[in-house]
Amino acid sequence: MRLRSRLAVTCAKATSSLIKKMNRGSGVTLPGLVARLIDPGILKEMSSQVRGKTIVTMGTNGKTTTNAILCRALESEGKKVIINRTGANMLNGIISAFVLNTDKKGRLDADYACIEVDEIASVGVLPKLEPDCALLTNISRDQLDRFGEVDITYEKLLTAVKSVPKTTLIINCDDILSYSLAENSGNPYVTYGISEQIFDDISRSEIRESIFCRKCGKKLEYDFFHYGQLGIYHCPNCGWKRPDPDYTAENIEFHDEVYSFDMDGAHIDSTARTPYNIYNTLSAYTALKTMGAGYAGFKEMIEAFDYGNNRESIFTVEGARVQLHLAKNPIGFQQKVSLVLKDPKPKDIIIQINDTYQDGEDVSWLWDVDFQYLADSNAQKIITTGTRRYDMGLRLKYEDISCAAAPDIKKAILECAQKGTKNLYVIVNYSGLYRTNHLLTELEKGIDTEEEREGGAKA
Amino acid sequence: MTAKKLTIGHLYPDLLNLYGDRGNIQCFRKRLEWRGMEAEVIPFLSGDEIDFSKLDIVLLGGGSDREQELVCGFLKDIREDFKTYVEDNGVVLAVCGGYQLLGKYYKTDKKTIEGLSILDITTEWQPERLIRNIVLNSPLFERPVVGFENHGGRTYIGDHTPFGKVFYGLGNTGKSGYEGVVYKNVIATYLHGPLLPKNPQVCDYLLEKALQRKYGPDTVLEPLADELEHKANSYIVNRYSDKKYILKETIKRYT
Repeated sequence: MRLRSRLAVTCAKATSSLIKKMNRGSGVTLPGLVARLIDPGILKEMSSQVRGKTIVTMGTNGKTTTNAILCRALESEGKKVIINRTGANMLNGIISAFVLNTDKKGRLDADYACIEVDEIASVGVLPKLEPDCALLTNISRDQLDRFGEVDITYEKLLTAVKSVPKTTLIINCDDILSYSLAENSGNPYVTYGISEQIFDDISRSEIRESIFCRKCGKKLEYDFFHYGQLGIYHCPNCGWKRPDPDYTAENIEFHDEVYSFDMDGAHIDSTARTPYNIYNTLSAYTALKTMGAGYAGFKEMIEAFDYGNNRESIFTVEGARVQLHLAKNPIGFQQKVSLVLKDPKPKDIIIQINDTYQDGEDVSWLWDVDFQYLADSNAQKIITTGTRRYDMGLRLKYEDISCAAAPDIKKAILECAQKGTKNLYVIVNYSGLYRTNHLLTELEKGIDTEEEREGGAKA
Repeated sequence: MTAKKLTIGHLYPDLLNLYGDRGNIQCFRKRLEWRGMEAEVIPFLSGDEIDFSKLDIVLLGGGSDREQELVCGFLKDIREDFKTYVEDNGVVLAVCGGYQLLGKYYKTDKKTIEGLSILDITTEWQPERLIRNIVLNSPLFERPVVGFENHGGRTYIGDHTPFGKVFYGLGNTGKSGYEGVVYKNVIATYLHGPLLPKNPQVCDYLLEKALQRKYGPDTVLEPLADELEHKANSYIVNRYSDKKYILKETIKRYT
């Protein structure tokens, strides 16, 4: 190992411990920046120390869950795995994940690396990591103000994977954008897909990306849609069509709030409560089989797997069942609307919409979600909160769904928990997730002052 | 007397469907229904025949550059009818890609997309996209117009009247200080958000023009309770009236 890399690792670690001592956040990106400034080749050096294989996970929805499944599958076989923390999926965060996992001599002790990579960052990250596999969950509309257009995301990802021609792509062939990317890249690829119709009507919103043939520009015909642009498609003009997937999940059934399905000869009684987690499971399995590791005990591992991952967590506050959900783009939000509708009991709903850079400053996407279904959700009360609570309120108003706006999410939660239906859904977009998760954890423990309680009652 | 009714033609939602254009449609529809009037929305998919004489409002939305190129092929067939409709005071809301397509051409780094030539404007693509919240002052309205802009094209409007003067944001070219075009009963703009729900004054302006064209100049719209609309509007106006906030956001943007 070069002296320069050693120095980079040492300084990055010092930065990290300094941040922690000063209590200035979790410090997952700055150490990476420091390491990169000292040694621009640090990521290449680090990834070359991984004994086994490196896999990256990219795509609009499902990155974090899929990456967590990969990591758990490998760990359950006793492998040592490097993983980057949720949200630390840009270049600096990824470097941090590596350097902060080194021993005192600055050496990595890792069999595998499972790295979640942001689509925009992928162009800079992939050539340095040279991963063995790149898993692509799907490409759809997300944070358009940052990415511009979905075609720009597509081009970035294409450039990224072309820069590493030996990397095997793991592709969702139900998604025309992903499949066309695999065909155009020249990289080797393995496909996964679901051939039976499992998503309900509410999951299928009207938003569809690029339903035109990527080869000849004519309108594609679909046998059916799963959700978004995902479905079974063919071009009546040039014959381009969805291929038979290499891996598939079938006999998918939903009972007692969870899904079961057959995959590669095994029957899985999963803990997945949402159909998109079948995709996440299937894609991870496809990747593991392709890498030749972590699949032998997959059934046992996945049947005990917690998909919650802080993104869908259940709390008890003041005797009320409180579910926290992340919804950061139209397709994700549509799934949550569908989930709420599956619960026939009376409920209260709090929706928090922020517009920080991470959330996406443009909240137009709220209008691409079919919120009209909430009229039949048996919701006694809907409260909007967050910086763009009035935008969210307008979205509901223009479906003739009444709601109230509240500036403080804590007061809103307490009010609903104390006086509501005891069945509360809290749906937040990206920047609100960690704070709300923390808040609900504290409220569940009963950490709350009398003063705030009174405030809650008044609100 | 039967209820008044407007027919809204949504052009090519299969191609131009970016950024919650549905919000604009929904706003037209609800603000008519809440006043006891009817709205019929007809989506025209690419390749469909369009009878402009049956339409009271035309909405032309935004699409990605690739989709816009596909649209271009269909536009040739409707150019004459669309132009006649506009010259006959037909109401049009054109947003982003739709705005660009009303002009003569949209020149990208790779090719030139021919437009409808209904407006005497041209658009040229530049790699740096103009992306941020935007606030306009328009002489047509007392209340500022707020939205979100996200465009690679720079639109040169020549002698046309702009839709508004940029109070915060970038506008047509990033430099001109103006945004959009108003021509007869056409409003063409880069503003998403979507435009109408947070700017009910713009929605009502277009509805009133369409109603007057159909039912005579005496037709007026009753006011609605727009408290929530005004709160959403004021939130953005106030945010960008605060110099400290703008400084903070600018620093964040470039670091």
